[in-house]
Amino acid sequence: MRWCLSLLLFCFLAVVNALSSSGNRLLVVLEDATEKESYSTFLGDLEARGYNPVVESPKSDKLSLFELGERAYDHVLLFPPRSKGFGPSLSPKNIIEFMNKDGNVLLALSGKSTTPSAISSLLLELDLHLSTDRSSMVVDHFNYDIHSAAETHDVLLLQRPGQLRPDTKSFFDGEGVLAFPSAAPHTLGDSNPLLAPILSAPVTAYSYNPKEDFGSVEDVVASGSQLALVSAMQARNSARFTLLGSVESLQDKWFSATVKAPGDGKESETANRDFAKQLTAWAFKETGVLKVGKIEHHLAQDSEAPSVELNPKIYRIKNETVFSIEVSEYKYDKYVPFEVPENDALQLEFTMLSPFHRLDLQPSGKTENSSIYSTKFTVPDQHGIFSFRVNYKRPFLTSIEEKHEVTVRHYAHDEYPRSWKISGGWVWIAGLWSVVAGFLAFVIMWLYSAPTSTASTTKKTQ
Amino acid sequence: MPAKRTTAATATPSITKSLSSGPKTLTANSSVSEIVHHVWQQYLTTTPERTMLLDAFMAFLVLIGGIQFVYCVLAGNYPFNAFLSGFSAAVGQFVLTASLRMQTSTDKAKGANGMGVGSDGVSHERAFADYIFGSLILHFFCINFIN
Amino acid sequence: MQLWHTILQLSLLAVTAAPTAAAASAWGFTDATVSVHAKGAGVGSGLKENIPDNKALTKPVSLGSTDTLKVTLTAREGRSAKRAHQVFLLLQDPETGLDISYPFNVKDNGKSRVELTQKDLPVQFLSLSDPLNAKLLIGSFGSSEAYNGAAFKLAVTRSPDQPVPTVEVSRYGKLPEIHHIFKDDPQNPPIVITLAFVAMVLATLPVLAGMWLFLGANVRHLPNALKASPIPHTVFLGSLLSLEGIFFLYYQSWTLFQVLPAVAVAGTVAFISGSRALGEVQGRRLDGLR
Repeated sequence: MRWCLSLLLFCFLAVVNALSSSGNRLLVVLEDATEKESYSTFLGDLEARGYNPVVESPKSDKLSLFELGERAYDHVLLFPPRSKGFGPSLSPKNIIEFMNKDGNVLLALSGKSTTPSAISSLLLELDLHLSTDRSSMVVDHFNYDIHSAAETHDVLLLQRPGQLRPDTKSFFDGEGVLAFPSAAPHTLGDSNPLLAPILSAPVTAYSYNPKEDFGSVEDVVASGSQLALVSAMQARNSARFTLLGSVESLQDKWFSATVKAPGDGKESETANRDFAKQLTAWAFKETGVLKVGKIEHHLAQDSEAPSVELNPKIYRIKNETVFSIEVSEYKYDKYVPFEVPENDALQLEFTMLSPFHRLDLQPSGKTENSSIYSTKFTVPDQHGIFSFRVNYKRPFLTSIEEKHEVTVRHYAHDEYPRSWKISGGWVWIAGLWSVVAGFLAFVIMWLYSAPTSTASTTKKTQ
Repeated sequence: MPAKRTTAATATPSITKSLSSGPKTLTANSSVSEIVHHVWQQYLTTTPERTMLLDAFMAFLVLIGGIQFVYCVLAGNYPFNAFLSGFSAAVGQFVLTASLRMQTSTDKAKGANGMGVGSDGVSHERAFADYIFGSLILHFFCINFIN
Repeated sequence: MQLWHTILQLSLLAVTAAPTAAAASAWGFTDATVSVHAKGAGVGSGLKENIPDNKALTKPVSLGSTDTLKVTLTAREGRSAKRAHQVFLLLQDPETGLDISYPFNVKDNGKSRVELTQKDLPVQFLSLSDPLNAKLLIGSFGSSEAYNGAAFKLAVTRSPDQPVPTVEVSRYGKLPEIHHIFKDDPQNPPIVITLAFVAMVLATLPVLAGMWLFLGANVRHLPNALKASPIPHTVFLGSLLSLEGIFFLYYQSWTLFQVLPAVAVAGTVAFISGSRALGEVQGRRLDGLR
């Protein structure tokens, strides 16, 4: 009865958790409660997708990311603070600690207010750089909304981002124009390969500090597409940190605004609502989450041979081996078969210290919510402890790191070909048996040979 | 090699006797061919017939080992275990036969006298039994190793 | 994303090129020159070209490793020279779309100036074979239309003996495939040589027989021996033959555990019968028959 209840409870929890692959406890840190109204559509969308947003002020005493040493929330959404920082409970150290415990963070900034130095130092730890005055704003005299920013040009109109690289998946593409009002730009450092830009400024954009304006910009740290507006960092434990440059783009006002770029006469609806959904879905692990199912390796079998042993602990050198891995990808509310992007490959390494084989895994099958990738290869002619490794780390996808050790042994003594099968050895085989035959003849001769009377005469005539 | 020396010492009278019908005695300034010829003649006259048969068997083993070795040099040593066992069968058999020769070789006079005991006091038949035992073990190992 | 940028730029180019769009309130430039002079060379030496107003230079400008590129212009809003908020020289790699902007030094009367050398360029631009697209961006706040037009092509030249700097940034992605290279299987020598040597090895047996016959080997004592002690002799010879036969079977198919008991039996028989048979042989020798 009891396990029945718990099963029921489990099912219920599963239904509730159906949305994000890593939980639905969402903390929204918003300093000014009155602002909540302007984000009502955004927060309502999150709630509709199954999250339990808890809106807290950073000044609140009971605000803590942790409870009894464990994460109290699965995701944190940080709105830009009005005051000097988020306070002691949201110090950079705590936020990093939260990510170390697999929590996801979405931090929104605004170009309207100076970003506190505490946040700047948090971003610096992730190799994301704000401008030194921390209060810059992106303007673009070529791509702005002429309705709302005819004079200031600070409402950027941007196309939805496509693929970051030809070999990555795009999670943020789609139709429509994004409006980014008063965006705070940042740049990405070179030293962190875990960083990936999601949305960059147009080529003609630049950033400046409206408070220190001298008529024209003469000193830019970065310009054009080097200015990132939305970036993501996925840590090695697959915890996600997303930085959004323009918090205003999440406001109700911009979810359904009509904008018009200078020059072209077309008016268009903003796609901010859709982009906000994609961005939060990625940031809170509704998309781009990979799960490894069954991993199988076995000897390659002949077509009619009976089943072979699965995942044996030991292989012989030069065995034909088949390796297959089942991968599924979480997409909003369910696992679907994972498709490797076109120019990318899921790779298997057969390693002992260094890889002896590194092979692209080919799709070989599909189930309802996973796809199976497999490859066939010959075990190297080197014995030792090897491992099957699948190390798949890509931007925007949670990492796969699988390692399965096997022993590779030499030929057993009865697995070598018999001597007569090797034509090179025939001479020595014949030699051995000739010696044996000669020995037998010698034994008979020695036992029964009688001395000949003619022997002495033979010797003499020689 | 004390055995040989004693054999040579005891054989001296018979040499002079049989060499009287031979070509000529060796002098200090004989040529190389003369020395070779002399040694060969001495071997023919002083070796018992049974020992000569044994020597023929040893020559056969040298021949068969030599052919196998030349083949290895010419055609490579793959499969090496076959080379080792084939060649060492010939060499081992040669060594065993050489020990048998040392234990059973007596000069004609002594053999005719019917002592029948080698220099170290082992009878010919006992030596032969040991020889068979050793040879069988050698064959077993070579066959085992040739796979 | 890059594609989008280029499309955007193309459309903007088309827009700016159209003279109809509110000619009174569009940004542009006049008195634009581009000059390149080498370090140490006198003023006035080197290349100096005038860029026609609001148009592009047709010839590419080449910038050597010690040269300084200097672009001057006067920004204009409509017909009047004016200070613009954004006066940029934008360099873009036509292939990858990589871009970087250099702000001009702008005076109040719109006169603007920028200087740059190869040290100012990102390293990615130093190893390009195609010339870069250099564009002028002039824009400011307000309703006036900003200017974005090609100015010239900039070819970055490097002396061939200087190493081209490269950047290596680690990014997660597909790695090259590795296939293990197996050791070659050992090769059998030509079958002809093998067969010839097999024939030579087998030919040694007739040679042995011939030598023995020549030396007078015979088996004339066999009847005597069989008469004297028939059972030990036959059993001894038989057990020797069977021992070698067991060895042959071991070579062919038997396992060690089949061989060992058989050898133990045959060996015991050979030992017992051998001592009898050799006793008989000794008797013959003592009789002086051998």
